[in-house]
Amino acid sequence: MSWLAVPAGLILAAVVIPPLILLYFLKLRRRTQTIASTLLWKRSVEDLRANTPFQRLRRSLLLFLQLLALVLLVLAIMQPQVQSSGRQGGKTIFLIDTSASMTATDVTDAPTRLEEAKRRARERVEALYGRGLFGGSWGETMVVSFSDRAQVACRFTDSKPQLLAAIDRIQPTHGESRIGEALTLARAYTTQLDPESNRPVGEPGTLELFSDGRIADLAEQVLRGERMVYHPIGSQEPDNVAITAISIERPYDRPAAVEVFASLANFNTTPLTVDVQLSVNDAARAIREVTIDAAGEDPVSGLIVPARRNVVFTPFEQPRAAVIEVAVLRDDDLAADSAARLVVPPPRRLKVALVGSKSFVMETVLTGIGSIQRLTLLSQQQYLAKVAEGAVDRFDVVVFDNYAPPPDQMPPGRYLCFGAPPPIEGLNAFGEGEGQLILDTRHEHPLFKFVDLDRLFISRFTLLQPDDDVQVLAEGSRGPVVVEVARGPMQVIYVTFDPLDSNWPFLRSFVTFLVNAVEYLGHAGEAISASSFTPGEALTTRLPPAAAAVELHLPDGVMERLEPIDPALLSWGPIRLTGVYFLRWSVQQTSEPQERVFAVNLLSDREGDLRPAEQIMAGEDVHVAGRGGSEYTSLWPWAIGLCLIVLMLEWWVYHRKAYI
Amino acid sequence: MAEFGATTQPRPKRVDELIDSELMAKLDQVDIMSRKIFAGKLQGERRSKKRGVSVEFADYRHYVHGDDLRFVDWNIYARLDKLFLKIFLEEEDLALLIAIDISASMDWGNPNKLVFSQKLAMSLGYIGLSNHNRVSLFAFNQAGVRPLVNLRGRRRTREMGTWLLDLAGGDRSGFNEAMRHIALSRQGKGVMVILSDFLFKESYEKGLRYLAGGGFDTFCLQVLSPEEIDPGRHGLAGDLRLTDVEDDDTAEITVSAALLRKYRENLNAYCGRLRDFCIRRDVMHVSVTTSDDIGALLLDYLRKRGLLK
Repeated sequence: MSWLAVPAGLILAAVVIPPLILLYFLKLRRRTQTIASTLLWKRSVEDLRANTPFQRLRRSLLLFLQLLALVLLVLAIMQPQVQSSGRQGGKTIFLIDTSASMTATDVTDAPTRLEEAKRRARERVEALYGRGLFGGSWGETMVVSFSDRAQVACRFTDSKPQLLAAIDRIQPTHGESRIGEALTLARAYTTQLDPESNRPVGEPGTLELFSDGRIADLAEQVLRGERMVYHPIGSQEPDNVAITAISIERPYDRPAAVEVFASLANFNTTPLTVDVQLSVNDAARAIREVTIDAAGEDPVSGLIVPARRNVVFTPFEQPRAAVIEVAVLRDDDLAADSAARLVVPPPRRLKVALVGSKSFVMETVLTGIGSIQRLTLLSQQQYLAKVAEGAVDRFDVVVFDNYAPPPDQMPPGRYLCFGAPPPIEGLNAFGEGEGQLILDTRHEHPLFKFVDLDRLFISRFTLLQPDDDVQVLAEGSRGPVVVEVARGPMQVIYVTFDPLDSNWPFLRSFVTFLVNAVEYLGHAGEAISASSFTPGEALTTRLPPAAAAVELHLPDGVMERLEPIDPALLSWGPIRLTGVYFLRWSVQQTSEPQERVFAVNLLSDREGDLRPAEQIMAGEDVHVAGRGGSEYTSLWPWAIGLCLIVLMLEWWVYHRKAYI
Repeated sequence: MAEFGATTQPRPKRVDELIDSELMAKLDQVDIMSRKIFAGKLQGERRSKKRGVSVEFADYRHYVHGDDLRFVDWNIYARLDKLFLKIFLEEEDLALLIAIDISASMDWGNPNKLVFSQKLAMSLGYIGLSNHNRVSLFAFNQAGVRPLVNLRGRRRTREMGTWLLDLAGGDRSGFNEAMRHIALSRQGKGVMVILSDFLFKESYEKGLRYLAGGGFDTFCLQVLSPEEIDPGRHGLAGDLRLTDVEDDDTAEITVSAALLRKYRENLNAYCGRLRDFCIRRDVMHVSVTTSDDIGALLLDYLRKRGLLK
């Protein structure tokens, strides 16, 4: 128990209690009463004394009661408070975690952790406002839900129904837990700046965090004087196997086939054997039995280090677009990460222009690339004419074979340049050099997949002094050899030498490099599979200008009608749930509805680790609710109430004349 | 509000304030009754132990020398030629002794205990006088016993009343000493009525033993005021220093329900002990309250208890 105003209470006690006792002494100057005989009275008084051990106390019961009432008043003025689950006044912010891990079903009292969190939040609201004055609270409360985005569910209010309704409205998301934005929001509502000193005034609020404590950015957060109470939610033995990565590739030699890779993580402390199912457009195609080791624990952080296992499914022909889903066939506590989906667009054939080629080598190789639908040979004049027409963007990739167009004649597009330096800022060509070998290449770059440049010798090349934003992909003994410039819609791969000035055409790596480069540039910005979204992002896509009656079908069966403000660009979000989203629209001329499919996957290690944190740190220790207590309940209303009861008792005793 | 126990009613100044004519008329119907038969001094209306000269025949006996020839039954002598003497029942007067406690404690209460005792003594004395009993009155306290002895006949009523009016309370009771004095005063044996509150710091046993041993038919009328019987109801409250009117002894009390309860228990126990003591010695004990109506008390209550008939 602590006291807020001890001196005030002591002063009051010193002022009030001695006069009362003095009054009693004055009052106890007895009245003299003549009586026929004291015989029986003396005997009675003696009997009473003999029979009542606490006679002295009882005789002055009124004094005792009055002293008690005064002491209670003094105590009330000292404002005692005890640590408990209650709270004194001020501003309280409920932060309710709605991240994916909160959809876990490992709690007993509620269907999901979020429901449990809401239940506890409701209990807290009841505790704060349900008991009126004696609940110890008369402050205001705000409700903020957060996953990777924070949302104010209810502004500061002291209305219990409003708070309860706000808590009920909170919906689960499959996003990651990020508390930073929620804290910023909370501070924006609680902090009032003094206009003169520009410093915050008033007490910082109390944050009540209802979460499992797996918060990605917790380490970056520092409490600025706020008190945080953490209500941990979830069991200590959760069961979860997650898909933490999924990727789909088309083998370069089989553009119509797809190859699916998935990465599984076991967060349980026991090894598991699970069935992993691959389905295409909801039809199961393959099931693999996979054994995953038990998860370990990081001795320093105490976090679970999941055991991982990669699964590769045999390539299969999928020339058409499809939704491919990899799912763990197992009932665990978190369903959101047990399946991952990707949308595979149909294989795309590229249109490539080769400008200024004087050698047959380049033309021959490009003609042989399977993914190129059409190769157009352009002379320099033809190219400039196309630029003038604005028709260059009809080509997916433009290859300059030792040709540098004049400045301003390279509209935004994707270019592969050999030899002559293209007129792009930042390359800083400064002459020619002779004779060099490749020292280093960026092997992980898709350009150098299966490309070995060790045996390449270059006799003549352009010397470069590239700026910082130019990515050097291969470094020779005398300077950069392959560089990439990506500036918005303009993407250029520049090879500083003409292949004919080297032994490259005789090496196998030349063909592979060309294929890689054309594929890379041609599909730049689009994966082989359509990009997958994660919860919390905005879903953005381009629609035909005439699109109308746009409908978005969410994974939970809800249909939303969208009114794109900019007809070309549609943006919807933030995405709340994982799963497959269908965007349907119709174009006025053709009555046939159009459809586009999006996949949203969780793919997060942190959300997969379901074990709730027992304690969390945010710059300083955060109090854990319900364990040892951390909140304060004011006791002064109780003291006042008791004082009233004592006064009534005193009144009754006085009127009974029974100072027993 | 009057002070607790203070007498508010005016003290009687004239004899007819002690007993009014209406009550006197009623009291003419009753007489003092004695459970014992005493020897009287004068011829009276009461059967005596002695054989005597009344009209009521009792027995015969042989004449012996010296017997009064007036009582020889000449008819028997004529028939049997033997002298027989007729014996008649003797009727004598009854001695009624009334002892009034005039200690300071009696001069207290509302209605006043002494005034009540005066009125009661007046009524009893009037009954005695009007039935030709020999009435003696004693007023006693520590200072001594004031007697008024051997009143006989209704015409002494005024004298008795005047004597009673002169009584004033004061001093301690001196009960034992007074009883010894009365018992030994040879005022004739008879009905003894003691009017007192019996609240004596010294014990009452010795005094009552004198009376029991002296052969009196004793009635103890314990006169208590309502304030003594239920002090809580009559305004005793607060923190008090109680002062005894007789000896200035003090008792500091804080009136409480428990204390009042305890007081009543003690009072009952005290009266109970007195009653037990009296019964064991063939003494009649009667508790009366000063708020009682004297007429009703005499004509109804004391009749039932055997003092009057």
